[in-house]
Amino acid sequence: MRLGRDSLAGLIFLAVSLALLVQSFGLPQLPLVPVGPGFYPRIVLIFMAVTSAALIVQDLVAPRAEPADVPVPAQPQRAYGLVALAFVIVALYLVLLPLLGYRIATVLFVAALQATLERPTTWRQWAVLAAIAIGTSAVTYLVFERYLTVLLPRGSWTNW
Amino acid sequence: MFELLGHGLLTVLQWNYLVPLFAGTLIGVIGGALPGVTITMTIIVILPFTYGLDPLQGLAAMTGVYVGGSAGGLVTACLLGIPGTPSAIATTFDGFPMARGGAPGRAIWLGVWSSFFGGLLGGLFLILVTGPLAAIALQFGPWEYFSLFVLAMAMVAGLAESSFIKGLLSTAIGLLITVIGTDPIGSVPRFTFGSEFISGGFPFLPVLIGIFAFAQIMSDIEKTRAPKTPEAVLAAQPSLGVSLGVSHLKVIGEILGRPFLLLWSTVVGILIGVLPAIGGSAANMLAYDQAKKFSRHPERFGTGIPEGIIASESSNNANVGGSLVTIMAFGIPGDAVTAVMLGAMTIHGIQSGPLFVSQQPALAYGIYAAYILAHLLMVLILAAGALFMLQITRVRLAVLAPIVLVLCVIGAYALNNTMQSVYVLLIFGVFGYALVKGGFPLAPLILGLILGDQIEINLIRAIMTDDNPLLFFTRPISGALLFCAALSVALAVWQHLRHQARTAREEAPDF
Repeated sequence: MRLGRDSLAGLIFLAVSLALLVQSFGLPQLPLVPVGPGFYPRIVLIFMAVTSAALIVQDLVAPRAEPADVPVPAQPQRAYGLVALAFVIVALYLVLLPLLGYRIATVLFVAALQATLERPTTWRQWAVLAAIAIGTSAVTYLVFERYLTVLLPRGSWTNW
Repeated sequence: MFELLGHGLLTVLQWNYLVPLFAGTLIGVIGGALPGVTITMTIIVILPFTYGLDPLQGLAAMTGVYVGGSAGGLVTACLLGIPGTPSAIATTFDGFPMARGGAPGRAIWLGVWSSFFGGLLGGLFLILVTGPLAAIALQFGPWEYFSLFVLAMAMVAGLAESSFIKGLLSTAIGLLITVIGTDPIGSVPRFTFGSEFISGGFPFLPVLIGIFAFAQIMSDIEKTRAPKTPEAVLAAQPSLGVSLGVSHLKVIGEILGRPFLLLWSTVVGILIGVLPAIGGSAANMLAYDQAKKFSRHPERFGTGIPEGIIASESSNNANVGGSLVTIMAFGIPGDAVTAVMLGAMTIHGIQSGPLFVSQQPALAYGIYAAYILAHLLMVLILAAGALFMLQITRVRLAVLAPIVLVLCVIGAYALNNTMQSVYVLLIFGVFGYALVKGGFPLAPLILGLILGDQIEINLIRAIMTDDNPLLFFTRPISGALLFCAALSVALAVWQHLRHQARTAREEAPDF
């Protein structure tokens, strides 16, 4: 039996709900409240476990598509590698934010993500990329810090 | 009521409120016109700007985005055949053929004026109904609130497009996120595993921003390498020599000359708006479908007739009024956009719900006034720059994505000036993207996330008042609400089974 995508998701959520359900029985009781802090989470977790199990069953009993004789139209190309790279760049930005500060980290982030999504090929394109990166950082900093008095992260390395 | 509304209008007409309202409406129209950028994402982008404003300024800006975004999608829908937002999908069916047929101005202005009239009728409903509904909600005890929230979640899960079970599971995930952290009664830490990071639970807005904005942006990035269809390439080269000149009186006459269509589409939009967590995407499609069913010449729909545009555009703006009713009377968001507004209200220490209109009349009537004025501004903005919107659609994702993500990060960080909220944003960005890829609907999750705490508090409060669990069923309103919830679930299951049976029949070999 081959597990489908839904079965796999259902199994993950079922495992999480059962693990937390076991943990909920270890929560302390409160003297003045008739039901303890684990009462409501247990309802939620049982609901989650039941729906996860239902998803697995639904996926397992659903008829699998037989290999068709006619050629299946090609799926549009998906850039999953690019998505993973974008997440990594965002993660790096969040690491650098408290170290370099908002202004520097944002310039680096905007430039890096732009270059990743659409690599510049000419000096002019690189200049536009840099201008957008610096402009985004400068404009948002001025608007938020100066006009809206919303504080943005300072860098522990740069104090800027 | 009218005195308060007049006062609200005078307040919002002051520069310090009019400027955020205008900016919000303009950004909403632009966001709505940009294919791939939803109204939810637009409102998330402007969220951090509202932190430094007073509550009415912030809510006026958000109301402007909501109204502008609901109308902005029609520009690209009519002129490019690509809906700027899901709220304008049905507008493309007749708007694009009409524009292609040599009447782009008529198509655009039928849409704009339909949005205007639909929106104003939705506003009338908002002003007249919110107060009485809130008064009814004030009579509710914890049993009724608990049952109301259960009904809201049952309806949303039942309406999930992909799968009913996934809708329910998505709701459960939303509820689970709310139980992590300290419990609301005794402050006992739950499922924190001794971690300081989640000891206070997950803050709502970073979770919402992560799940909606990050997941949306990443889904757009995923498609960047997809080859463009010849139609899309052609559509992406709009002729800016096109004229949108039109006789406004004639167009308005065309709309008002179909009063039943306008009113019925508006009613559909309002009702979809009142239902929790269903947005304009459902309203415009349903209104279009209804208009076609009631029409004497349904075969002409899709060929560029005004009825299709009027139905779609009047319903999606009326939907905004309906959504605002639900949030202002019950504290339940009508869709993801109002969920962000709810979050913005809590940042300013404002509790939305039945007491909102009576305790914060200046704010409530200020929102009504902003809603009405936003419709006027929307017409002015589109009159001045409908063609300019086409230029904006040429902004590349490589430029747009980093800027949107930076604003998301600011929105999360500025909540409490800690990096913790930003990390939560990333975690739920990855999680939201995974859910989207797994085909899980996000609306039930968000509703579970918003209502989770309230459900628990009302459940415990009901049990502490009287430990008889049958009261949930025997109290008339509570029982009726739970009955409706069960009915909603049963209906969804029946529809699912019927759909499966129909699919099986269609796939059966024909000997």
